[in-house]
Amino acid sequence: MPKAPKKGNVPHPRRLFGLKKWQYLALNIFIVFHILAITAWAIPFHSQFIVDCRNVVRPYLLWTGLFQSWDMFSPLPKATNTYLEAVVIYQDGSTQMWDFPRMELLSLADKYSKERYRKFVEVLLDDRNAALRPDVARYVARLPGIRAKNPQKILLMVKWSNILPRGDGTYLRTPLDEYVFYRYDVQPEDLQ
Amino acid sequence: MTARSFSTPWNSFFFAQQSPVPVALFRIIYGVVVIATAALLHADWLAWYGPHSWISAATMHLVEPGTRLNLFSVIPQTDFWVRALFWLLIASAACLTIGLCTRLNTVLVFLCLTSIDQRNLFILHGGDTFLRVAGFFLIFAPAGAALSVDRLMRIWRGKEGRAIRPRLPWAQRMTQLELALLYLVSFWWKMKGGAWLEGTALYYVFHLDEFQRFPIPSFFLRPAVLRVGSWLTLAAEFSLGALIWIKKLRYPLLAIGVLFHLTLEYSINVPMFQWDVLSAYVLFIEPADLARVWNWIRTHSAKYFAERLTVIYDGASPRQTRSANLLQAIDIFGRLSLVDQRESPAHRGGEKLQVATSAGVLRGPHAARALARVIPLLWPIVPFLAFRRS
Repeated sequence: MPKAPKKGNVPHPRRLFGLKKWQYLALNIFIVFHILAITAWAIPFHSQFIVDCRNVVRPYLLWTGLFQSWDMFSPLPKATNTYLEAVVIYQDGSTQMWDFPRMELLSLADKYSKERYRKFVEVLLDDRNAALRPDVARYVARLPGIRAKNPQKILLMVKWSNILPRGDGTYLRTPLDEYVFYRYDVQPEDLQ
Repeated sequence: MTARSFSTPWNSFFFAQQSPVPVALFRIIYGVVVIATAALLHADWLAWYGPHSWISAATMHLVEPGTRLNLFSVIPQTDFWVRALFWLLIASAACLTIGLCTRLNTVLVFLCLTSIDQRNLFILHGGDTFLRVAGFFLIFAPAGAALSVDRLMRIWRGKEGRAIRPRLPWAQRMTQLELALLYLVSFWWKMKGGAWLEGTALYYVFHLDEFQRFPIPSFFLRPAVLRVGSWLTLAAEFSLGALIWIKKLRYPLLAIGVLFHLTLEYSINVPMFQWDVLSAYVLFIEPADLARVWNWIRTHSAKYFAERLTVIYDGASPRQTRSANLLQAIDIFGRLSLVDQRESPAHRGGEKLQVATSAGVLRGPHAARALARVIPLLWPIVPFLAFRRS
C-alpha cells in the first residue's frame, strides 16, 4: 500500500508554465517593474509620489530608451501657424533669407521625408530649448551656398499667424507677424 | 481578494502558452515599418545624425544628459560610420522581417533604433517612441517561432516538427499593454485641456498648415462636425486603451481603431505614426481567429493556383520526413497533401520525394518544378529550376 505523503510535504511541480521557479520569479519582477516604471513615467499626474517614482526609474528608462510621452495635440493643440526663417547677413552687408522646409509647400513625397523639420522647428521655437540655437545657426552658416559667401551673422526669425475660428466654420488668419528670437555671430571656425 | 484570485488571471494573461503566430506577424510588419522609417530619413541621415549635423552630439549630451544606450557614442564620428549604422539597421530589420537569426536581429534593431532616437531627440514623434519601446519587448518575444527562416532551419535540422509549438506570451502582452497605455495617456492628456472637451480642438488641428496632407472636404470642417470629431477622438482613445481588454468588444474596437488611424493618415502629416501603431493591432487577434482568416484566404485564393499536389514521402527516412515537414511549413496556401508511403501502399516505391499530379508521378527536378509553381514562397527559384537538367 503506497504511503500517504506526510502533512506539509505536498509535492510541488518542478516547473511553472515551463519555467524554473527562479525564472518565473525573475520574469514577474521584470514585468511588474516595467509596468510600474513606464506607467509612472507616462501618466500626466504629478503627485509627489509619482515624481519620486520617476526620479527612481529615470536612469533606467533614459538608458534603455523606454521613456515616453503621449501628449500630441494636448492638453491644447497649437492655435498658431508658425514658420521659421534664417536671415543671413554677409560680410559685404548683403542679406539672404533661408527658409526651413515648410510642410504645406512640399510635394507629397517630400512631406513624408521632411516631416522631421516640422517637429524640429516646433522644438526650436520653445525657449526651453534655447541651447540648441547656436548649433542651428552654425549649420545654416555652413550650408554650401551660404558658407562660400562668408556669412557674418545668422538671425533666426519666426513668422506667425493666429488661427481665429468664425462661427460659420471658416477661419480667420491674422496677418503674419515676425520676430527675431536669436542672433548669432559666425566665427571663422564655424565654417570649417 | 485572495492571492490566488489575483495570481490566476495574472498567470493566465502573462504565462498561459499560446501560438506565437500573432507575434510572428507583428515581427514581419514591425520589420517593414522600421525599414520604411529608415528609408524615409535617408536623404537626411547626415543632416540629423552626422558629425556636422543640425545638433551636435556634444550639444545633445549637454541638453539631455545621462548615460544612454547609444551606439553613436562608441562609433567614430564620421559620415561613413553614421551611414553604416543606418545600413546595419536596414539589414537587421530585413533579416527580422524574414525571421533570420531573429533574436540577434531584434537586439540589433533595438540598439540601432534607440541609438538613432537618443542621438537626436528633437525630431521624434510618437511612432518612433512606440517602435523603440515595442522593439525592446520584441527582444524577449518568441518572434522567430513561426513564419520565419529560423523555423524552417530548425525543421530542416530535425529540431522541430510540423506543428508550431505554443510559447509564453508575456512579451507580447507587454507590447499590448504599451499600446493600451499609449491610448489611455493620450486620452488623459487631452482631458486636461478644455479644447477637447469643448469640441474645438480638431478645428485648430485641421487648420495648422504644417499638418495638412490631403484636402479635407469642407463638410468635415464645419464646427458641429469637428465638435463631434473631437469627442469621438476622446471616446476612441479611451476605448482603445481601456475597453480593448473586454473580449467581446475587442474586434469592433480594433476596426474603429483602424478607421481612426486611416482617417488620421489621410488628413494629418505625421509620416509612419499611424502604421507604427497599427502594426501592433495584430497582437490583439486571437491565434484561432488568425487561422480562420487565413483559411478563408486559402479557400478563396485556390482558384488562382494550379492543381493541388500530393507529396509522397517515406516516413522511415529522416531526410524525407524533414523535407516533407519543410514543404508543409512553406505551403502557406495549403496546396499540398502529404502522404507517408508507409501508410499508403498505392504510393510505395520511391527513394526520393515524389509528387503526384493529374499527369502522373514526378520525381527529381520535375517534382521540384511542380512544387515551386504552387508554393508562392518558392516562386523566386522557379527560373533557376527551369535550367536544371532532368
